[in-house]
Amino acid sequence: MFRNVLRTAFLLSCASIVFLVCAGSMFLLNVLTRPIAAAQPAASRIVYGLTLLPSGFDPHINASAELGIPLRSVYDTLVYRDPITKAFVPGLAERWEISPDGLIYTFYLRRGVRFHDGEPFNALAVAANLDRITAPETRSQKAIFMLGSFERYIVRDEYTIELVLKAPFAPLLDSLSQVYLGIASPKALREYGTDLYQLHQVGTGPYQMVEFIPGDYILLRRNPIYRWAPPFYRMDNPAPVEEIEFRFFTDPATRAPALESGAVDIIGELAPLDALALARRDDIALLPQPIPGMPLQFLFNTAKAPTDRLEVRRAIITATDRVAIIDSVFQQLSPVAYGPLTAVTPFYEPQVKQYYPHSREVARRTLAELGYMDNNGDKILDLNGVPLRLIVIVPTWGYAPQVAQRLQSQWREQGIEAELRQVPNLAGLLAAVQSGDYHLVAFNDFGADPSVLNNFYLSDARNNFMRVSNANLDQWLRQAVQTSDPAQRQNFYTGVQGLIMDQALILPIRDYVNLNAHRKRISGLAFDAYGWFPLLANLTLVGDD
Amino acid sequence: MLRFAVQRALSALFTLWSAATLAFIALRLAPGDAIVLQLALSGATESQIAARRAALGLDLPLGVQYLNMLSRLLRGDLGVSLVNGRAVTALIGEQLEATLALAIGALLVGTLLGLALGIGAALGGHWLQQLAQALIALLLATPVYWLGILAIYVFSVWLGWLPSISRDNSLQALLLPCGVLGVALSGSIGQMAAAGLHEAKKAPFVQTARAKGLPVHLIVWRHMLSAYGGALISLIGLQSGFLISGALVTESLFTRRGIGQLLLNAVNGRDYPVVQGVVLLSALAYSLLSTLADILAAWRDPRLRRQGL
Repeated sequence: MFRNVLRTAFLLSCASIVFLVCAGSMFLLNVLTRPIAAAQPAASRIVYGLTLLPSGFDPHINASAELGIPLRSVYDTLVYRDPITKAFVPGLAERWEISPDGLIYTFYLRRGVRFHDGEPFNALAVAANLDRITAPETRSQKAIFMLGSFERYIVRDEYTIELVLKAPFAPLLDSLSQVYLGIASPKALREYGTDLYQLHQVGTGPYQMVEFIPGDYILLRRNPIYRWAPPFYRMDNPAPVEEIEFRFFTDPATRAPALESGAVDIIGELAPLDALALARRDDIALLPQPIPGMPLQFLFNTAKAPTDRLEVRRAIITATDRVAIIDSVFQQLSPVAYGPLTAVTPFYEPQVKQYYPHSREVARRTLAELGYMDNNGDKILDLNGVPLRLIVIVPTWGYAPQVAQRLQSQWREQGIEAELRQVPNLAGLLAAVQSGDYHLVAFNDFGADPSVLNNFYLSDARNNFMRVSNANLDQWLRQAVQTSDPAQRQNFYTGVQGLIMDQALILPIRDYVNLNAHRKRISGLAFDAYGWFPLLANLTLVGDD
Repeated sequence: MLRFAVQRALSALFTLWSAATLAFIALRLAPGDAIVLQLALSGATESQIAARRAALGLDLPLGVQYLNMLSRLLRGDLGVSLVNGRAVTALIGEQLEATLALAIGALLVGTLLGLALGIGAALGGHWLQQLAQALIALLLATPVYWLGILAIYVFSVWLGWLPSISRDNSLQALLLPCGVLGVALSGSIGQMAAAGLHEAKKAPFVQTARAKGLPVHLIVWRHMLSAYGGALISLIGLQSGFLISGALVTESLFTRRGIGQLLLNAVNGRDYPVVQGVVLLSALAYSLLSTLADILAAWRDPRLRRQGL
């Protein structure tokens, strides 16, 4: 009797859970839900998955690359880079002139351009944007530094503005082509102030920001009067996407199921195994996109024994089988990296491929010539009683842990012991580097201009993790940003890349490739010159899948 | 009653102060600060970084920074984010509703399922006890993350019944995240309920009630749950800690906005004022919840009333 009643009670309460959850949720619904204007999707709305959730979304203030994925299409820039040739092409400036001394850039602006709020675009609008970016109270985290030696501007007339520099700064056009220097409506900037503008962004681009709920979504809608596109935006698009909802898939494991269930139409940063599995489906297409900048690499600390010795560094690179790492970690979806710049970066020098082909025998011989022997039979080489032991700082992101584990096992076979020290975030990495107690650290950065190297390889660079001090390197890196002549820059960067590899300052692993996939109801997915930012205006709806 | 209220208010204040102080110390012990992290890859020079830190008062001695923080808090000013310049109250405000909906829903699911499992494990027949105990053990051992991924594959990818994106606070959007977090929560609640009821089963007053021939449901609901329900309510109140960490995982799995994501980002970016604000909010919520649980417990259990109320 007692048991029977209890059994019934148990089953009844189990069954009633479903009902109560429903009832409770209905209650919550009534109490908590306020009407959401944008809840009803438009006929042609797609969902685009972002993979990071930046704390700030103001391109003039914040530095995250993620913000550019939606905002690249909200703003136009004075110039653009062609996605394929990476050459500079007109944007909001129809044309531009650079003075022979490289100190004055004159931009002749396009007429008839309007911001999403109806305000006209002109030289004063450009001036207002420069004022905002350079104002100390804006506390710009990236845009202001991208302006380099910018000193002041001169508004020549309504459609002509000059940017005056203190010193020649070749990457300026590259900076001006990026979303961080996108031109915003001066009226909106005034109206919302530094803190709230990010929620109400107004540009001139092919899409306008309709709504932004931080942590939740960003909704863009097509700009119907957009007629001032750069040449690579497809203006005869038969079925452009009307609305795009951006949501945050910060957990890598959620990305593939979201695509499979149709919850998301486009998403990037897929895990290589997920990407391969998705590519086998009929309704999903894979689009690997190489990213210009630095590859996934391990930087050698040249100030700490034994990696202070050039021959040791060379032996370590030679001992590393990069192809095996690409095969197992990246499923052959990334190219092997050979130098400090990825192969799609302007001024990349293919000659770096000749450095340090994998050979266990050569590595063994090199180390033996240096006096490294296994004297105590522990299978680890030693020199004067000190074992050949490397401390490797491994960030938890970018597949560095998986790569580091394979390095560890490859090196062990060579008699080199590696201790992997994982760091959970940038703060941990910087602290670990500052201690100086490491031989290698995995790190990279992105950008279409090789001046990204200056933050790492100049002897007084903040991120000189290699603790390198090389007069030639310093001189070439500096000169390369002072001349705007492409041939001269190519010469400097050829020298820089050769020197970095000759001195074995880094162990390059793989060129960064963003693994994007999209449902086939969309076509035309392509990315800009920086690799991260989609050309949303070129997306075409094919139909339901 | 008054004594109880004053006692509670004082202890809540103490909780808030300790939370603020601990958060302050923990954040300053962690390497890096917001400005250095923001500008690490920007190409900013040392002097530019130093100037910006000075403008925000981050170069002051820690004691001075601590006192500044306390005086700001006393004036009810939570400050502005060091990353995006927005008021901390606004940042928390826009995420709070989503987290509350998730937490309340999960607590509801967790409590009901947990009680059912607890009753089954303690008082059911042989097979029911075995089943419920096994389920409790399984739930205790299952990470909420794994449960969430499984739920997405089953309900969104294979069956296509529920969206894997939790867009708002509608029933459809809340069912999966609340279900996942609630089910994860039910393991520990079920374990506590089972332990309490096991003890109650042996208590003399239950034996007496059974000897008197009272119906079983009366024994369970009126006598056993009265005696041990109070403790159980307090213990459920204590699950708020799990709710916060579980909410973080659940939010990111179902791409829901919420306090969890805000906190994670703020900690990683060393956004001191935002972390401080969220920590204070959690401490406040914890104080309120435990007070509420104590009041409920006293209402259910007259013995507790004589001690405190």
